[in-house]
Amino acid sequence: MSLIDLMTMATPNLGSRKEILARLCGRDLVNCFQCIKCTSGCTALKLLELKPHEIVKLVNLGFVDELASSDIIWTCATCLKCLQRCPQKASPYHVIIALQNLAVKREAKVPEGYLKAVSHILETGLAEPSRKIITRKMETVDRECLGLPKVRCPKETFQAILMKAMEENP
Amino acid sequence: MKTAVFWGCCILTDQLGYEMSVRETFPKLGVELVDLHESVCCGDPLKSINDFAANYLGARALASANQTGLLDLFVPCNRCHFTISEAMRNMRQNQKAGRRIKEFLKEEGLEYNPEIKVWHTIDLLHDRVGVQKVKKAVEKPLKGLKVASHVGCQIIRYGDLGRVDDAENPTKLDELMRALGAEVIDYTEKLDCCGSALMRSHPDSALSLAGSKLKALQALIVDGMVVSCPDCGLMFDSRQKDTATIVGVKLNVPVLYYTQLLGLALGIDEKKLGLHLNQSPIDHLLAKISA
Repeated sequence: MSLIDLMTMATPNLGSRKEILARLCGRDLVNCFQCIKCTSGCTALKLLELKPHEIVKLVNLGFVDELASSDIIWTCATCLKCLQRCPQKASPYHVIIALQNLAVKREAKVPEGYLKAVSHILETGLAEPSRKIITRKMETVDRECLGLPKVRCPKETFQAILMKAMEENP
Repeated sequence: MKTAVFWGCCILTDQLGYEMSVRETFPKLGVELVDLHESVCCGDPLKSINDFAANYLGARALASANQTGLLDLFVPCNRCHFTISEAMRNMRQNQKAGRRIKEFLKEEGLEYNPEIKVWHTIDLLHDRVGVQKVKKAVEKPLKGLKVASHVGCQIIRYGDLGRVDDAENPTKLDELMRALGAEVIDYTEKLDCCGSALMRSHPDSALSLAGSKLKALQALIVDGMVVSCPDCGLMFDSRQKDTATIVGVKLNVPVLYYTQLLGLALGIDEKKLGLHLNQSPIDHLLAKISA
């Protein structure tokens, strides 16, 4: 279902809109005048049909619940061109991040790749598992045989405190 | 100069050629690297999940650097550099969150230090070491080598945050390449994104973005593409074959890190620079340099 389909049945929710504004910590979302500079430079426009100006407009109109449950907010390539070029400092990038955070809080569907990274960070401190390294000539090597120092894991307190930080919602 | 170094997950677990070449070349330019006591994620993947926790990890990276007693932190990854820079901005601008983060850090026995300056490969070499010093250190000038740069996104955007180069017309990496004697070509797709951030949600689109850029560059007949971010290196070098499958063309673009190219110009052995780890076809480029 596309965003437009969702909108035909939607009613604005100003409470959710307020929640996004609070997450943006004073970034000037409401100043967007739809110049579409963000969308015309968007990396994800061509392949994934992300239109940042639409997202900003929909948040301004209060259609936040629909966005938070839509797949479209997970198509951002984080190239930051929208944020750089916005003449009104409305920062579509930060709006998208705020919507993603809200989607997670509401337990909407989140791409698995993110959840994997989070559980890996909690487990080992790093977002990626250590991979088998293969040379161009197909020899298997590791950090030790390449003369690189061992990766040092964080102390045991790390996991508990990061969990606590993740439960925090200032 | 002595600086702490925050490598980030991608370099430590996958892009070892970048790490090796930095460890080989920086001391030769008078930069001493001090590893942190532990390796923890910068917080980037957490941004989409919980921005507060992401800022906590970003601030934690700076607090870890503070343990070394040094006031400079070198962050060779674009994404880590961006995440840590945004965390610094958050600590300055959002006092309530900043206070909570400091409390969490205290529980871990860490202390945030706002005085620490964060560096990336590009500005550390260009602004701190200086292009002239790099030029003087060259032993084997890369004469006749035609290369193109890919700077990446998050290291030049957004300008308000304070990035290492101009957001729309970055030139520092090109200047550093010219300092080695190479010829630098400009190309229309220079600012196009490698797509790596989409690997978590839309891998095919991510590979398609990287493949399209490589395809455009291949048409220009260059000796190689030079990168300075491990995520970009992963997409253009390690995954080049996958990107070729997605865009449906045969791709043969040699891709290497600036620090690997620098190491070659400084006369350092290929293996010490991790050049045997690159997956793109760089042998022709290596032969041209050693000829």
